[in-house]
Amino acid sequence: MNPTAPLVYADHNATTPVAPEVVEAMLPWLRSGYFNPSSMYEPALRAAHAVRDARAAVAAFVGAADPSEILFTSCATESNNTALFGVAAANPSRRHIVTSAVEHPAILEVCRELERRGCEITRLPVDRQGRIATADYVRALRPDTLLVTLMMANNETGVAWPVGDWARIAKATDPSIVFHTDATQAAGKLPIDLSGDLRHVDLLSFSGHKMNAPKGIGVLYIRRGTALRPYLYGGHQESGRRGGTENVPYIAGLARACELAKAHAADLPALAARRDALEADLLHLIPYAEVNGRGAPRTPNTLNLSFHYVEGEAILYALNAQGICASTGSACSSGSLEPSHVLRAMDIPFTAMHGSLRLSFGLSNPQSDYDRIRDVLPPIIADLRRLSPYWDQKTNAPRPR
Amino acid sequence: MAWEYSDKTKQLFMDAVQGKPGTHLGEIENADGVGEHGSIVCGDALKFTFRVRRAENPLDDVITEAKYLTFGCTSAIAASEALCALIEGKGLTPIQALRIRNQDIVEYLEGLPQQKIHCSVMGAEALEAAVVDWAAKRGVDLAAAGVKLSGEKADEDGRIVCKCFAITEPYLRRKIRELHLRTVDDVTAALKAGGMCGACRYAPGGIQDILNDIWPDACATCPSGGACPASAAPAEPSPFQIAKKIESALETDVRPALRRDGGDLELVDIKGWKVYVSLKGHCATCLGASHTLQLLVERTLKDAVDSRIEVIPV
Ligand SMILES: Cc1ncc(COP(=O)(O)O)c(C=O)c1O
Ligand code: FES
Repeated sequence: MNPTAPLVYADHNATTPVAPEVVEAMLPWLRSGYFNPSSMYEPALRAAHAVRDARAAVAAFVGAADPSEILFTSCATESNNTALFGVAAANPSRRHIVTSAVEHPAILEVCRELERRGCEITRLPVDRQGRIATADYVRALRPDTLLVTLMMANNETGVAWPVGDWARIAKATDPSIVFHTDATQAAGKLPIDLSGDLRHVDLLSFSGHKMNAPKGIGVLYIRRGTALRPYLYGGHQESGRRGGTENVPYIAGLARACELAKAHAADLPALAARRDALEADLLHLIPYAEVNGRGAPRTPNTLNLSFHYVEGEAILYALNAQGICASTGSACSSGSLEPSHVLRAMDIPFTAMHGSLRLSFGLSNPQSDYDRIRDVLPPIIADLRRLSPYWDQKTNAPRPR
Repeated sequence: MAWEYSDKTKQLFMDAVQGKPGTHLGEIENADGVGEHGSIVCGDALKFTFRVRRAENPLDDVITEAKYLTFGCTSAIAASEALCALIEGKGLTPIQALRIRNQDIVEYLEGLPQQKIHCSVMGAEALEAAVVDWAAKRGVDLAAAGVKLSGEKADEDGRIVCKCFAITEPYLRRKIRELHLRTVDDVTAALKAGGMCGACRYAPGGIQDILNDIWPDACATCPSGGACPASAAPAEPSPFQIAKKIESALETDVRPALRRDGGDLELVDIKGWKVYVSLKGHCATCLGASHTLQLLVERTLKDAVDSRIEVIPV
């Protein structure tokens, strides 16, 4: 580690720092306001009101028609499990699910389990830019389609999909099809309006810790009238849709994070501009580099690069030694021996598959963080290529094979 | 997963990346032994070269210099450096060098995380390949010299079918039977084999061949001679005639009008009475066009084909 340089955190798609305002909003409920919102005395009522107010703030953030459409969960993974298992349990006569090849494991693994339980899954492929062809999507819809689940933005590449439009098509095809979207990587980075362009979406998941709230709090939006069985059976909390005493401090914190995200929406174009400038610089400075998903609309904070003939885990380690935090889709980092399923689905050439680097920024990254990466990364790639048996040092190009 | 590398591993990696003097990065020109292992597809590859001080009897050749080029993660690079450090200047003959096993590399690195052990195996394999190369160049008969190569050991354990995951034929056969795996995708999902570069899926002697061998082709021996419903295409839910009518109505009544305005229309799908169309060219960017189109196309198709038709712009 370079002890003199400040830490550069460029891994906001993994998790985000908790905003100081969010900590402030949580503290009263951790200190003196510890009461159970279901209890029958004055202080408990204040806790119940805090949950009620938070629900309204979250509803306003996503454009929900009514706060009762907001279900608090522990994380996006729980929201996704609740959505998929809940819909399957409520509609036993339909067994077909449409999803994509590039969803987060919190969708893919749930689908795999539903498959074991007798559902049939269509996994839509993506093109080289991470896009789904609308015609493929339309053709996947069947008379027995129960559910469509397609993510709003991809965690690895940031590629954003027109889920509002796809939800409209699903409903026009058959109003009984339930449309779910995993918006974990969209919340705080793309507009979410469930009364506007997302008005045909029935279920939407996201997680607090990707938007400056702490880990341990998530949301499932459930449009009124959507048939869904509970996932966690228990007490009457959350209108009987999820048992378990409300996590008052975290709920209050998430609501504050939603308000902050709303207030900072105007700063997002500047975030995209800083990313775009870094992207252009790196492509200029580093030969044989490409940006994954560059041809598609993307979240403003994500930059997924592939460097041919170097290995991503080694890049991460070298960055780490300079105090820069990022992430990779390389096999060596995942422990699974396989490179990222997202990059594989995009058919990234194998010379570049193992050399991917995901930089994901937040509004709190100053311009100097981008500058540090621009200065530090090109020599790291050059050094690793010097080590690579596939790279010719003399020509600064891949070795002819 | 954060790094749990030893200080030694980290140090070797950083020294190599920064090209510190004394590291073994590079490639020896006209080397006496050249060995490669791994491939870029799998995510690690190592090219290992050494030079010997030639003796009268090749068996007395002594390794004087060793270098590597590595494509791989932190520990793969550190393991390559370790391999060279263990071999160079120790007065070892190539055959003595073969006694260095991956465990020695792990010890030199002061330990490796479990999931990274394969990085040290790669070093040992490349060393072996280089020694085989040296033996060929110097006319040494390794078998006569009493050397048992791990490649031969692999043959005892069974031919490797999937190189990416080092999966052998006997293992595949046993698992395919045990788990009743029927297709290559089943095998990949259950055993990983075929899930990386895919080269072993349909290669001769690959996964498909093994499956064919274990489950003899049911259709080939079936009395219906392939005419059974199971091998026929599924019935098309949207009747051919309706589709034909829709196509021709679009061609004669809708497209000419759109083309006049520099646009066009694509028929994407038909499900029952629902017709999915997509606007092209000038029309695709014209706000409000989608609504107009829906009305225009829907009225035309309702009149020409069936009143139950519904148009969905996509
Ligand atoms: C798209 C997506 N969905 C779901 C999750 C899971 O979120 P959580 O950790 O809150 O369960 C993540 C987190 O990486 C994600 O990026
Ligand atoms: S040999 Fe590459 S996947 Fe099997």
